[in-house]
Amino acid sequence: MFGFLKGLGVTLSQIPKKKVTLQYPEEKPQWPERFRGIHQFNIDTCIVCHQCARICPTSCISLSGHRDENKKMRIDTYDIAFEICILCGLCTEVCPTEAIQMTDRFELAEYNRDDLYKNMEWLYQNHLFYTKSEPTAVAETAEDTAGKVGDKA
Amino acid sequence: MLHWQDQPLSLSTFLGMVIGAVVVLGFILFVVMYLIYFERKVIGWMQNRIGPNRVGPLGLLQSLADVLKLLLKEDVIPAAADRSLFMLAPIIAFAPSFMVLAVIPFSATHVFTAGLNVGVLYYIALSSMTIIGVVLGGWASNNKYSLIGGMRSGAQMVSYEIPLGMSLIGVVLMDGSLNLNQIVEQQHASHLWNIIPQILGFCVFLISAVAELNRTPFDLPEAESELVAGYHTEYTGFRFAFFMLAEYVYVFAMSALGATMFLGGWSGPFLPGWLWFGIKTCVFIFFMYWIRATMPRIRGDQLMSFSWKVLMPLAILNIVITAIVKVLL
Repeated sequence: MFGFLKGLGVTLSQIPKKKVTLQYPEEKPQWPERFRGIHQFNIDTCIVCHQCARICPTSCISLSGHRDENKKMRIDTYDIAFEICILCGLCTEVCPTEAIQMTDRFELAEYNRDDLYKNMEWLYQNHLFYTKSEPTAVAETAEDTAGKVGDKA
Repeated sequence: MLHWQDQPLSLSTFLGMVIGAVVVLGFILFVVMYLIYFERKVIGWMQNRIGPNRVGPLGLLQSLADVLKLLLKEDVIPAAADRSLFMLAPIIAFAPSFMVLAVIPFSATHVFTAGLNVGVLYYIALSSMTIIGVVLGGWASNNKYSLIGGMRSGAQMVSYEIPLGMSLIGVVLMDGSLNLNQIVEQQHASHLWNIIPQILGFCVFLISAVAELNRTPFDLPEAESELVAGYHTEYTGFRFAFFMLAEYVYVFAMSALGATMFLGGWSGPFLPGWLWFGIKTCVFIFFMYWIRATMPRIRGDQLMSFSWKVLMPLAILNIVITAIVKVLL
């Protein structure tokens, strides 16, 4: 009987307390340091070694490259099908030059599945957004890819 | 037209009745909308959340959006269900819940209140009729979970009707009337709310009212963890909305009955009568939400024995004590 009243007291005392709700779209929580969100891709450091594509458990990475005049491998296309990507982070772990890395973005809702197939430019814009670095060797700028970059350009 | 209850039935008094009924219906729909909103808010606050806050300012239009969504939903009637009974059940469940409001004295002027001289009996009798709707809904769905939920609901509501009615008999004995208006006037005249002499009856009433409304901690019929959703598993859209409406109208009606019988209804100093009535009803409603945020669900095997072995004797004891005191004084 008194335990019952005690319980009622506990719930009543919660009312004036500060609420823990986060108004999500407006304010976001502090993500942990090693949060595995969707990827960013640095075109300049990639050496087209295919290790990410090989280790990917869902085979969602497809890439191709060519050898340039200095005998260096340069990346041509790099696509991630986020429809099947499970954000496990193995591609990041095996990448010898850390060209592919994960960010703390995760909001990828789209109206059709094709839009979840992200190409190199999109991933590179992601990289620029997160590193705030100047684009160096790549001709594509935000104007060319504005249609694919979404609101992060 | 306004004083239709103490005049013979004529066209103008009948018109007054109809207008009163329509006004009460509109009022009750509005109240139910905000009961749901208020419930979600209160429980949210008690769980350190904000509660609904997106639709409209402070989320005030959340219930409206929910209702509109329900009305736009497809109205599914299962192929194997008993079609006519399936369609009848929500109506049988809702109609009495609206009819009991006829005897609730909302204010001191009794404009919307029938001065029925068996008001308490009328309330208890009509609220028992909802059980038929609930059991019918469970049966007509032709679904084992609905049937189990319906049977549980029926058993529980029948069991808790009895202590509920008996806890009110103490008040009836004290005031010597079954007319709710007169019960309020007695309390108003004696400057003593019935909760003080009838504290035992009040406790029994409170517990049986919560159980009668199938609310936590007595929400076994709708136990989502055990049954799919109780008797409205197969109901969708408009019919489901009707069951929900009946449930919340009963929350309001039961709180109004409690405020009338034990807290002196519209009587009180300084403020107008309708405001006093509103405040007391809100206290009752808040208590139900408070309990819901606090208590876990009662165990199924304790449910029936609690009603028959604890509440019943207490209610009878209350009646006996009331009778003895009334004779001696």
